[in-house]
Amino acid sequence: MLIVNNVSKSYGKFSVLENINIEFSKGIYGLLAPNGAGKTTLIKMLTTLLFPSEGEILYNGTDIFSMGDDYRDILGYLPQEFGYYRNYSPRKFLHYLSALKGIDRDKAKNRIDELLKLVGLENVADKKMGKFSGGMIQRVGIAQAMLNNPKILILDEPTVGLDPKERVRFRNLLTELSRERIVILSTHIVSDVESIANEIIMIKNKKVLYKDSPKNICKILSGKVYEIEVDFDQVSNFRKEYFILSERQEDNSMKLRFISEEKKDDSWTAVNPTIEDVFMHVYKDEVIKEG
Amino acid sequence: MNVRMNEFKKVLSSPIILGLLILFIVFNSITIFKSSYFKDDLKVLNEVVAKFGYKIDDEMVNRLKEYYEEQINRLNEITEKRTAKRYSSVSEFYKDNFYNMEDVYSEEEKMFIRNLGIIENYYYEIGQVDELYSNIDIIAKGEYEIKKYGLSGKAADTVRNQYREFNERFHQLIRNGEHKNLFFMGKVYKMHSLLFKTIFKTIIFEIVILSVLITLYLINYEFDCNTEYIIYTTKRGRNLIIDKLCIAICSNLLVATIIIFTALSLYFTIFNYSGLWNVPISSYFNAEYSFPYMSWWNMSFKQYLFLSILVIYASMMLFTGIAFILARAIKNNYIGFFVFAIVFGLFLTVPNMIPRNTNLIFIGGFTPFFLIMNPNIWFMENEALVTFKYYELSTISIWTVLLLILSVLSVKRFKRQDI
Repeated sequence: MLIVNNVSKSYGKFSVLENINIEFSKGIYGLLAPNGAGKTTLIKMLTTLLFPSEGEILYNGTDIFSMGDDYRDILGYLPQEFGYYRNYSPRKFLHYLSALKGIDRDKAKNRIDELLKLVGLENVADKKMGKFSGGMIQRVGIAQAMLNNPKILILDEPTVGLDPKERVRFRNLLTELSRERIVILSTHIVSDVESIANEIIMIKNKKVLYKDSPKNICKILSGKVYEIEVDFDQVSNFRKEYFILSERQEDNSMKLRFISEEKKDDSWTAVNPTIEDVFMHVYKDEVIKEG
Repeated sequence: MNVRMNEFKKVLSSPIILGLLILFIVFNSITIFKSSYFKDDLKVLNEVVAKFGYKIDDEMVNRLKEYYEEQINRLNEITEKRTAKRYSSVSEFYKDNFYNMEDVYSEEEKMFIRNLGIIENYYYEIGQVDELYSNIDIIAKGEYEIKKYGLSGKAADTVRNQYREFNERFHQLIRNGEHKNLFFMGKVYKMHSLLFKTIFKTIIFEIVILSVLITLYLINYEFDCNTEYIIYTTKRGRNLIIDKLCIAICSNLLVATIIIFTALSLYFTIFNYSGLWNVPISSYFNAEYSFPYMSWWNMSFKQYLFLSILVIYASMMLFTGIAFILARAIKNNYIGFFVFAIVFGLFLTVPNMIPRNTNLIFIGGFTPFFLIMNPNIWFMENEALVTFKYYELSTISIWTVLLLILSVLSVKRFKRQDI
């Protein structure tokens, strides 16, 4: 079990995270927050790249920083932005990383073949990565994170650059992997985690706001999400009155999804809230700013 | 895949490093070739040494005298045949035949006369050695150095003490007869300066440039490639920095060896030192100016060359350490190299600002930056600021300890640093 215990991180007087307390056991955890909320900072602390200003991170009761290479031995990490050696092929790059991960040469060979097939790169396994697309590089990144069959797999924005087909394949892969390990998946794309995460963690104002199952998190907005079809000229007024979650054009009208504390009109249809609705609701200030 | 081997391949894959290495080898070769016009003159001394040995003693002088007189007779046979004239020396011959040699003498004869002229130079110089050394006053030389550098107070006392100590060594040198050995005539050919100043200094700067570049390049490689998050979260993790330092040292050793080997191979192929390897470096003939080169220890040319090469390797290690510490502080290689150049300049200029009446003035000399500036006077009586018997050893030892401590602290800090 991985425990984040009263962890804070600040740079001088600038505080990024405050008193974070999270427990991770086997399963997929979706770390959901807009960009700049501190997801990557938390992940970098979980991967020993950053040191907490306060608090501790324990794996099975031992501080991960004092565990050193024993901890990193069970860690797989895909950073949000990562580089690669342009003159290396995926196979050569993975061989180098397996050496750094202390994997036996023969075992590494089989594992690399297996992973290259899994991420669909077996046909370009020996081509130089310099000319690879963003999606192909991302798949190399996913493969390297899984090289050592990690007990803790941490993926920061893993689906960036992947096409819809690859995203589905990736989600299925994660579901399979999560049976026997902790998978922490940081994203600002709700659909990445909505269907597969056992728990969703939302960070707001430097603190953990929610940590619960998607079903329970959705309950936050239970009975408050509605849909309505309105004429185009009414949309503007509606926007002023309610917080719009989504807008969709349908024939000659607009279908709006919005939040209201109570049902004020019979034409409103009550719908089940989704994680995306909660995300929009929780981070509405950030959403408005970004918009 | 071996991690360290892979780190080594990163160095080999750098076009800048390989390009510079080739450029430096070519530059060194050109420098050596440019000075090779007098290589045939040097062969004459080798022939003399092969006949009479290099040690100048009464027996050797008598045999050389006999040989020289025989050759003068041979010269006169030629000149009598061609011009019906006789000469007591080659210099007298040249005075008389400055303009019309070409038409009168054959190529073979001209070569004979030229070579005899070289032998004559050595023969007459031998006769002056004792008198020259009897006029050398080491204590006075110390006072001259004190005046030259404007030293006073404790600084001047320190220099006096050093020259007093060197004076004992000077008398030992005379007793050993180290000065009375034949070597390429320094006043004419300046071979010591060519090898230990021009070539060695160039080699050292080339090695320093490459060592600093390689170290900065390798230590910051992951940050340059943006692979630091992937690499430093692997099992090997931040310990990789130690592998990188080891490979930087090995690569720098290799590069230094390539540069030294290519330059010296070419040098000793062109300039024949075959009979002179064991000649003491303090030989009078090595002197290029009025004051001869005198080493703190009795050592042969071969030993001096070997020790100088060792100092080059040691300097390379020190600069690798300096570059490692800089690389840990500065992640951009270009800025890192620029900062190194500034540090280099500061270490050479700042000591000049220290008052010249305290012993602090000498601290500035005990740095690798100052050490590599004058490789031609390593292990020798030198200018005031670095005339210490163990100057080279002290500088290398102090900085080795200092850089080892700083490197260990730097590695420890890296292990506790946010990436």
